[in-house]
Amino acid sequence: MNHARARQIAVALVVSPALVVAGLAYDANARRAAKAKDAAAIDALARRLPTSDLALSGGARWLRAISLEEPGAAFADGPASPDPDPAGAAMAPPIELWSASQRQR
Amino acid sequence: MKMSVLAFALRALARRKARAFALGGGLAFAVALVAAVVFMTESLRAEAERAHAAHPDIVVQRLVGGRPTTISSADAAKLVGIASVRNVTPRVWGYVFLPSLQGNVTIVGTSRNAPPLSIANGVLAEGRDIAPGAHEMIAGTELARFLGMRPGDELGLPTTNADAHALKLVGTFRSSLDLYTADVLICDEDDARALLVLPPGDATDLAITLSNPAEARVVARTITETLPGARVVERDLLARVYHLAYGRRAGFVLGASIPAILALLVLAWDRASGIGPDERKEIAVLKAVGWSTSDVLWAKLFESLLVGASATALGLLLGYAWIFWLGAPGLRPALVGWSVLYPRAALTPAVDVAQLLGISLAVMGPFALLSIVPAWRAATTDPLDTMRT
Repeated sequence: MNHARARQIAVALVVSPALVVAGLAYDANARRAAKAKDAAAIDALARRLPTSDLALSGGARWLRAISLEEPGAAFADGPASPDPDPAGAAMAPPIELWSASQRQR
Repeated sequence: MKMSVLAFALRALARRKARAFALGGGLAFAVALVAAVVFMTESLRAEAERAHAAHPDIVVQRLVGGRPTTISSADAAKLVGIASVRNVTPRVWGYVFLPSLQGNVTIVGTSRNAPPLSIANGVLAEGRDIAPGAHEMIAGTELARFLGMRPGDELGLPTTNADAHALKLVGTFRSSLDLYTADVLICDEDDARALLVLPPGDATDLAITLSNPAEARVVARTITETLPGARVVERDLLARVYHLAYGRRAGFVLGASIPAILALLVLAWDRASGIGPDERKEIAVLKAVGWSTSDVLWAKLFESLLVGASATALGLLLGYAWIFWLGAPGLRPALVGWSVLYPRAALTPAVDVAQLLGISLAVMGPFALLSIVPAWRAATTDPLDTMRT
């Protein structure tokens, strides 16, 4: 590696975070602009849903709608207090228990 | 001169390739992990807040024994007269456990004056909105796929009410809305009431729209006085809920990543605790051929900067690609929660330039500075002494 080549590579490495930040910011902006086209659809849909919470934990009633969760859910912070993410999130209840209970019904 | 020192620093790193790669690789991995968690958390929070504006100003639930229960329409009538309350809508929604799914689906009843959903307004991927009284439903794409249903198919949901009808699928939500609809099944309010075994005149909760949302706090207090024991959820407080929910999950994942972060600290400590004998000799030779202490310090600073900058750039790129280009494999279940029905829609970045620069500087700054002290110590010792040892 000659001196000039080393200098070019070194400069490129030093400015690489700025280039990456600019590139990622550009990509993020483009994705946000594409998502903005969905804004009207999200607005129309949200008016038909009980909550704007994301459908991330459909298996657990107290996690599905975190903004309207049951205040008496496992490990609530306090009576009637917002319980955004009880410790139940860390571990799924045993599926066998659910299916057995469903069969009994 | 500084450019020549920079080029020298690069060639010095090339002479100690293995060490430079180990240091840079560890740093890049730690940056990628932290950046990925931050990117994903911010993205989820932004997605939740995107639909926030359409949420009712206030939601009222009834509590019995500290747990939510159904609320009577008579209670709704008591709230209509409160100043600033524009309308009170009793809502019918809840969960039904599907044994075939081994999970809950969210049943949402639609009132007769609800705004329409269609392919034209971008909500539906196929089909049409439900017709009142026709025992029809719209399901999330993911739910329909899981149940193997196509528009026109009928599904009898498990319920203890023998009068509940089987529902015909007439439309599916667009997959890009999966984050909101993956487990949702929208049907007529009467069908939802039958499925959820909700007695006539009862509702799951009450949605309240205010003529002046700024008065939400005052109205909430009046509601609490009018309906003692009611649980009142204000829309403005939801932003805090989302912040807590995703912030706590991010903290949980980062906590589990402590070993990786510790590895980074060990590498950084390696830089701080001194430089090896080869490097000492190299510095002594440089001093012997006429380099000043300042030149040596610049060379060592540039070495750290080269490793830190390239590792930070690589880490940011990997973290971003992991979340937004590859769909966050491995990290997604940890951060989004557990469920049978995972929304598959791509996440939208919410991260901005300031956050990206913040992560970069938080890594590069301390890393570059850590190299100064040992280099200064080596550069200020007598070159002859160093070469003799």
